[in-house]
Amino acid sequence: MKIERIEMSLSELHEKLPHTLGKNSENRLGLLTSIDGGQLATLLLNPKDGTAGLLVSPLENNSYRSFTPQLAQFHWFERALFDFFGIVADGHPRFKHLLLHDQYEGDFFPLRKIALPANFQNVLPRRYEFFEVKGEGVYELPVGPIHAGVIEPGHFRFSCFGETIVNLEIRLGWVHRGVEKRLTEVPWQKAHFVAEAAASDTACANAFAHAIAIESILEVKVSERAQYLRTIALEIERLAMHVIDVGGIGTDIGLLGISSAMGRLRGKALALADLISGSRFLRGFIFPGGVRPVSERKLSEIKAGVIGLRKDLAPVIQILSENQMATERMKDIGRLSRSLAQEFGMVGILARACGIEYDSRQCFEQGKFPELAPPITTELGGDILARTRVRIGEIATTLDTIEKLLDGCPHGEDKITLPASLPANATGLGIVEATRGELIHLIFTDEAGKICRYSIKDPSFENWTAISIAIRENLIADFPLCNKSMALSYSGNDL
Amino acid sequence: MTLNLHAVLETLGFTATFLLLPPLIVGVIRKTKARFQNRIGAPVLQPYYDLLKLLSKSETISKHTSWIFRSTAAVNLSMLIILAFLAPWTSFRPFDLASDLFLVIYLLALTRFFTVLSALDAGSAFGGFGASREVTLALLVEPSVILCLASLGSVSQSSDLAFVFSFKNMELLNQPGLWFLAGCGLFLASLVELSRMPADDPTTHLELTMVHEAMILENSAANLALVEYSHFLKILILLGISSQCLLHAVPYFWHSTELIRAGASIACILLMAVSIAVIESVAVKLRWTKLPEFIAYSVAMSIFCVFIALGKNLN
Repeated sequence: MKIERIEMSLSELHEKLPHTLGKNSENRLGLLTSIDGGQLATLLLNPKDGTAGLLVSPLENNSYRSFTPQLAQFHWFERALFDFFGIVADGHPRFKHLLLHDQYEGDFFPLRKIALPANFQNVLPRRYEFFEVKGEGVYELPVGPIHAGVIEPGHFRFSCFGETIVNLEIRLGWVHRGVEKRLTEVPWQKAHFVAEAAASDTACANAFAHAIAIESILEVKVSERAQYLRTIALEIERLAMHVIDVGGIGTDIGLLGISSAMGRLRGKALALADLISGSRFLRGFIFPGGVRPVSERKLSEIKAGVIGLRKDLAPVIQILSENQMATERMKDIGRLSRSLAQEFGMVGILARACGIEYDSRQCFEQGKFPELAPPITTELGGDILARTRVRIGEIATTLDTIEKLLDGCPHGEDKITLPASLPANATGLGIVEATRGELIHLIFTDEAGKICRYSIKDPSFENWTAISIAIRENLIADFPLCNKSMALSYSGNDL
Repeated sequence: MTLNLHAVLETLGFTATFLLLPPLIVGVIRKTKARFQNRIGAPVLQPYYDLLKLLSKSETISKHTSWIFRSTAAVNLSMLIILAFLAPWTSFRPFDLASDLFLVIYLLALTRFFTVLSALDAGSAFGGFGASREVTLALLVEPSVILCLASLGSVSQSSDLAFVFSFKNMELLNQPGLWFLAGCGLFLASLVELSRMPADDPTTHLELTMVHEAMILENSAANLALVEYSHFLKILILLGISSQCLLHAVPYFWHSTELIRAGASIACILLMAVSIAVIESVAVKLRWTKLPEFIAYSVAMSIFCVFIALGKNLN
């Protein structure tokens, strides 16, 4: 994707951002990061005309005035910026570590490449302090990072008053593997293997975003057939994930029939992924330059599979949506208001479930989207029911889209040959609507044409805050259901 | 004194039934639920295997626990065994023990008391959770259980459950409506008492939503086996009492032989197990704050029982 790079001083940035990102503006914050620790790199997206701008502002003195007090969507970005670069956000209301835990050395900033200023003093103690709610009858309940189910690790610190949650603080970072750093160390031709491993259930979307970013640096365009096949793979991944997430809702409300049926049907969706790529999780299918070859016979089998799946899904979804008890169970729980979702820049299912019409498939170039992008599914409730309905709606539009893409898929080359090296001092951007929402890969190359900074923004990064907001004043027994309805990624967030 | 072989056999048969039947009931529930989900499911006898497996494991005990935690399993099991002899869970009883209805209800409450204590004893966050929820539910269900049984007692002019449920009390012969209402009321109350759906999801792994499971998270190995077994036994007793109410509603059983009645008792309990499985397959676990509405059905039935009993006594 084309990206416009603008150099801008910090004071100009401070003047510009409140206008460009304020209420009712067309723009949204893509991500905030740094390249080597000496500057702020702010990615601004304009979903309306599908453009992106990168504001690079050199830092003096390793710190800047925090944007969070005015623009809430910055709050985690600024904390991550300190964890990885040691850049201090002055005046951040809750400035503490985000992903790196107590074990690390005090001045360890893994992505920083330039020396720390001589007078640098670590403003944050390594020991993490949870937000404390005081008052008679308020107690703390720690849950995780190890959970009873086979899920990823995350620590939830509830402050409860009886059965009601007063505050929830989420601590992640338990599966931080240093993906972004590793991506700058491996040869760029093989980096897609690392990129797609950023979050395994989003392997295809990550590989896709990586490929778009690399191709935008090289300024090449892949064949029409590759575009179609990539988009089909992306939608198959979405289909499989949505099916199991709706099944997960069934598990948590106690409708085990729904969950076992959905588990089986997710297997069928994964079988489609296996047909197109040879891997049930679409590993290794998309890479910069194209896709792995797919025979016509396989494509027609996928078509038959999609038709079969549509028929199988209909009765299960009907049972779930017509069950009055289930509807009542999900209604008005874990409500997220539209204004807060907007303020925190939330994306994906949970944003669409509170009426925000943002689906990056409609805005940013990704394979055959936005040309063949399905209509946006939105709901207004903002509660668990709304999120489940958006998922169910997207299952239908995704099935339609896959069929449409299969019908239109032309013959041609699967891949093109890429130049041997990346251009120097270039910036590449890939935006893909993953299952959970907008996924961004941003790549910078240095003077030698080597990747010097690779930044990934998983949709969960913005959305984790949504759980804390939505569960407030709700019953603690409703937390698992609320958590499930958002189905966020731990590894995608921790990287 | 001659050894009465018949009486010995009866006693042995009765004891063997209540000792061996409970895991089977749970097995039936699980199997039915599995079939409802299109799964083959574990064998019906799986609960027995699980109990044996637990017995052979080595135990982990939190060092923060006291003697209460250690002895609760044994206390509960012995109380439930006493209850199995006292409570009218089957029409067939080898001993002529008087069983006051308040004794039965409060022996049940005493087992709950110890379970709750032991849940609090370990000091884990979830134990306290489960305990508080269990007590809240018990508080709501108790009136329904007492009123159902008390209205039966009031019509029969006796608080001895052995007498009320003996198929001999002619006052109760022509009261199928009362029996049926009491049976249904007790069945709904049992669902809550036994931490089944829609009050609690026994299959969940989510600590934050549990009631019964949250209380026994700290138990392991033989201790857990005893706790599980006691819970199974409680299922047998509570389902047994409500199925006896339903059997008494059918005049046929008043005139049939003891053997038919005994067979029907067991069959009815298993049938109730199946109906629990059906309910759990189609119902959704209710939101915690909606539970009183569900319990209200049971309480309403018990209040109707009281009206019937009052009407009968006024005549």
